[in-house]
Amino acid sequence: MHNIENQRSQFIRPCTRVWLGLLALTSVTYGIGRMELGGTQIVMLVLIITFIKGEMVAGFFMGLRNTSLLWRAIMASWLVIVGGGIAIAYLVGLK
Amino acid sequence: MSTQILTLDSHKAGTPPGDLAIWFFIFAELLAFGIFFLAYAFARANNVELFNESQQHLNRESGAINTVVLITSSYFVVRAVAAIREGLSRQCVYWLGAAIGLGGVFLVIKLFEFHAKFSAGISLSTNTFYMFYLSLTIFHFMHVILGMVILAAVMLKAHQGGYTAEHHTGVETGASYWHMVDLLWIILFPLVYVIR
Repeated sequence: MHNIENQRSQFIRPCTRVWLGLLALTSVTYGIGRMELGGTQIVMLVLIITFIKGEMVAGFFMGLRNTSLLWRAIMASWLVIVGGGIAIAYLVGLK
Repeated sequence: MSTQILTLDSHKAGTPPGDLAIWFFIFAELLAFGIFFLAYAFARANNVELFNESQQHLNRESGAINTVVLITSSYFVVRAVAAIREGLSRQCVYWLGAAIGLGGVFLVIKLFEFHAKFSAGISLSTNTFYMFYLSLTIFHFMHVILGMVILAAVMLKAHQGGYTAEHHTGVETGASYWHMVDLLWIILFPLVYVIR
């Protein structure tokens, strides 16, 4: 019984909050898209939101937050490289 | 204390949940999609006006709804894992069934989108934007189908009582793959539908 309560407080509830957070961040991204906002600052904001969402999914849903630094670093590196690459490509497109 | 850790993390300390092999597969998939995402971004850098103009013809609402659908589906899979960790096979099956159902919703919405585009005469050869849009989203679409097949196999085994609170690596393995499918869409949506 104690274990079940422990799991609910340490696994389910944080994941529920993450789920709601992901939905909120998605609505922000959608809002930006709907208003057809563009420009460097907006795109960087979108990419930062995307990075945060990616880290939330990887850390909480995929459970990487409970793993060694190596696994978390691999996932974070992928997100940074992809997000950073997209940012660089956007800036290249402005020239 | 050690029992609590066993319940929360049945996998080896420090390693991700599920079979280790799936994680090599996941990172290989992420690498492939990552290259695809960057190819799109740099192709856009050379054709900004074309990409911005073509993007306006996408159904952004469908993309956003599908993001919500996949995120929620992923959360349902989290609940399925939590249920089996408590030894609740029936609840695990229900959560997995709900997650698969939302996967089906994603596919239906995407099919409507594809139908609209193909009906308008748009194909891979229409322009560079649509070549990327269609190939990226179809590639992801196939991964959703594969994820649903994996979750269905896990659900069937859970229904047959094949998992317990102590032994449920298969559930965590399927869950990890499904979360990857969600993660990929979380990047694909802003990249293709929003950034301009």
